Formats: sequence, C-alpha cells, structure tokens
Amino acid sequence: MGEFVFHKTLPPPGARAFGKIYERVDRPDLSIEHWQHLHGCRGWLLVRRNPSTGSVLETRLLGDHGVSSGGAAPGPGSKAIP
Amino acid sequence: MSRPTPPYSAWSLVRARFSGEGYWRPLWSGRKLHDSYDVVIVGAGGHGLATAFHLARDHGIKRIAVLEKKLVGYGNVGRNTTIVRSNYLLPENHYFYEDSLRRWETLSRDLNYNVMYSPRGVVDIALSDDDMAGAARRGNAMRLAGIDAELLDLPALNRFCPQLDTERDRRFPIVGALLQRRGGTVRHDAVAWGYARAASALGVDIIENCEVTGVGAGGGIASGVETDRGYVRAERIVFATAGHTAMIGTMLGVAMPMETHLLQAMVSEPIKPLLHTVLVYMYPGHGETYICQSDRGGLVMGGLLDGFPSYTREGRWDRLEEVVEGAVDLLPQIAGVKLLRHWAGTNDMTMDGSPIMDRLRYDNVFVNAGWCYGGFKAIPASGAAFATLVATGTAPDLIRAYRLSRFATGHMLDERGGGPFPVRL
Repeated sequence: MGEFVFHKTLPPPGARAFGKIYERVDRPDLSIEHWQHLHGCRGWLLVRRNPSTGSVLETRLLGDHGVSSGGAAPGPGSKAIP
Repeated sequence: MSRPTPPYSAWSLVRARFSGEGYWRPLWSGRKLHDSYDVVIVGAGGHGLATAFHLARDHGIKRIAVLEKKLVGYGNVGRNTTIVRSNYLLPENHYFYEDSLRRWETLSRDLNYNVMYSPRGVVDIALSDDDMAGAARRGNAMRLAGIDAELLDLPALNRFCPQLDTERDRRFPIVGALLQRRGGTVRHDAVAWGYARAASALGVDIIENCEVTGVGAGGGIASGVETDRGYVRAERIVFATAGHTAMIGTMLGVAMPMETHLLQAMVSEPIKPLLHTVLVYMYPGHGETYICQSDRGGLVMGGLLDGFPSYTREGRWDRLEEVVEGAVDLLPQIAGVKLLRHWAGTNDMTMDGSPIMDRLRYDNVFVNAGWCYGGFKAIPASGAAFATLVATGTAPDLIRAYRLSRFATGHMLDERGGGPFPVRL
C-alpha cells in the first residue's frame, strides 16, 4: 500500500470542462480512481474499489508506463473506463 | 412529548436536591416523527443541530425535524480533535471563522449548556524562514481583519510553551510560530448535546435511528423525504450530512466537487497536566501532527487525511504512526505514554478546501457541506448563517462566497493553494 499514491477519483462521463477538473462521482459502493505506483515502476493504474469496505475490485495498467515514461499522468491515449 | 429538562442554574441544582430523581429529564428524547414539517434537516451533527436551533430561535420556525440515521453526535462532531481557531488567510474564510470563534466564546450561555470552551491558544510551528514568512503573511492578514495573531520567535515560543523541545538537533529545526491566543478547544460531545437540548427545548423534533433514503419531488420542487419510517413531507429540506454529502448528490443526480476521505484521531491514556495549548506541526515530507491535552488528561492527536476516498472509518496504521512520531518529536517526554483509543471520521473534502452552503438542485433543498477538516470550529457561525439562508432564501454576506457555483465560475477559495485536489501527499 505504501508504494502506491492515490491521484483522483474520476469525473462523471461526459462532464464539461470544469466538471472534469472539479466534479467527482462519489458512490459508497464503487469508486473509480487513478493511482500511481510511485515507489515502484511509476506506472499509472485504473483502480475500481469499494470505498465502504476498502476492497479492491479491479486494477488495470493505463497506457504506456514504466520508468521510461517518467511517471507522466495518463494522457488522451489512455483506455476509457468501461 | 416529554417534559424538557429545566434550565441549568445554581437554583435548579437546589431544586433537584429536594425534588428526587425525576427532576432531571432526558435532554432531547421522546419525540415522535410527524408526517409533515416546515423544515426537515437530515443529519443530527453539529451543523444540522445548530441550524435547527437557529431556525427555531432566530426565525420562529416551529415545525422542524432533525433526522439522524444513527445517534446524535455519532458522526464528525464527536470524532474531531476539538480545536477551534480562526487563523485563516483568505478574507472569505477568516471573517467567517472569526464570527464562529466569537460565538464559541458565548455559546455556553446561549445554549445554557457548558461546552467547555478553553481559549488556550493555537500554535502553528514554523520550521524555516520560509515558514515564518508564510506565518507572518497569514498573521498580518488576520490582524488587518481585526483578528488576534502573534508571530513568535524561538525565545518567545519557548516562553509560551516550555514543554516543547526546540533544542534537539533536527534536520528542520523549529524557528518560531504563529500564535492565536483566543483559539483553543471545546468539548465536542457537549456541543452536540448542548445544541440538541436547546433545539429540543424550542420544539424541534430530533429523531434518531431514522435513515433518509430518497427525496420526493414534483413540479420543480422537492416535496419531502423518503425515510425508513415512511414518507415525510417538508416545505424545505436541509442536508447536513458531512462525509455522506456526495452520496446525497448522487441521490439527487448532482455530481459534487467533493470526495470523502478519512481523517484519523487518537487519544492517549490520561496523564498529569502537561500541555496547556494546542500545537500544530506541519513538517517537510507532508506529515502533520496536531496535539492538545483534554481536561481528562488524555493527549488528543490528529494528522493528515489518509489520502484516498473511503467510508470505512477504519484508518491506516502508517498515518497513526506518523502522527505519533510527530507528537513524540515535539514532546519527547510523552514517549512512554500508551494510546487509549483511535478512530476515524469521514470528511467531505471539496476541491478547493472550503465549504459549500447553497441550494442543491431544487429551490427548497439546501446543502451545508464540504467542511473538509474544519467543520467543528465552524459550527456556531454555520448554524446561524445557514439558518438565515434556509429561512429567508438569501445567503447572508458571511457565507455568500460558499456557493456551489463557484466551481463553475472559477471563484475558488483555495486557502492551501493546492489546486483541485482534496489531498496531495
């Protein structure tokens, strides 16, 4: 856990510009988030968690990752959230 | 309806002595849920109860219900570290929190209930010249607004708090502090109980173990709330649900600029009086410890958010360890003291760190939320100002900046200057 750093929960699908920056989907049963493996490979992850229990439901690597990417945030090439 | 408890006074103590056990009554219990109200408030925490109290006392609204999913004071009002202060940089915040601090000073009289306000001072410790410059900037902003603030150099800090270890060789040595003497602590449970008792005495129905599951609407306005005890009609609905506010947004189909994070707190076993003030210690590497001593002797401590959304109220061991490490660094003499309890609260973190007091989706639905980790100290001002908004439909100047639309218009109140993230660790 200590290797990973939470980045943000994702905005609602189809959000306007300010919504993408400021709005969040906050549900008690499901949180879809970006995390970074900051103290490891520096890859970015899409994580689906249940914030009421703390259980991780799914993780997926986002786009190009690894040391060579310099840990850049996921860009337009990142896969969409299912 | 049960008879309310009589006002507390020296005379009531004498009367109680000769009146037997039945003289003292439960503070707020015994109310029945009706099917219709002028105002329904969801959440019997500090903000909900204070709003109910001011609606009844200042605006003469009598048919008020406060619905609470669990128990009065179960949420953040009973989970914080009891610190009150108004040492904010931005005018929108420091005038509001100063109004609150002034209300804390007289709240025991206003509620006829001792909330144990203790103006023992809040000390923000500086670790570098840059920190001191930041403290001076904030202190000057406060003084320009008529709020007390003192910049302490190291000798002055040592005189004010001799228990503090400032001599030890540290990578980042302590160089001074910003002190607000009128800041301090208030007994948090007493705030919930005092407001509940005072509101109940004014006729407010406080209904515990009653969960709101939905909002009924028609014709563009809300008509009431669905509860696990049936539908309750209401002319106005208020949500004061702290860490569960984003779920209310989901219920109403509104995406909120908010995430729910955990904030931990802990208390040690009682020890003899050691610390007469509140120490706030933000150290490089983004750790933080704040510590004070309760009237029972326990050292009450807290730190930063856990750092990701959660409703578990469980907390993380590494954050606990970090807080304790910071406390022992400041006060090495407490190294052998045992922790007694440890808990977490759910914090409604907005994307600029400032609260939201506004309508939500409907003209007659109001939300009081987004207090981040500053909600407890805001309760008296929040209750009074928010009651005015709910009763009159117009936000008083004190809270006008806390509208929800600021996120769309770009008028952020980012006290931390951290950008659109509730936490950056």
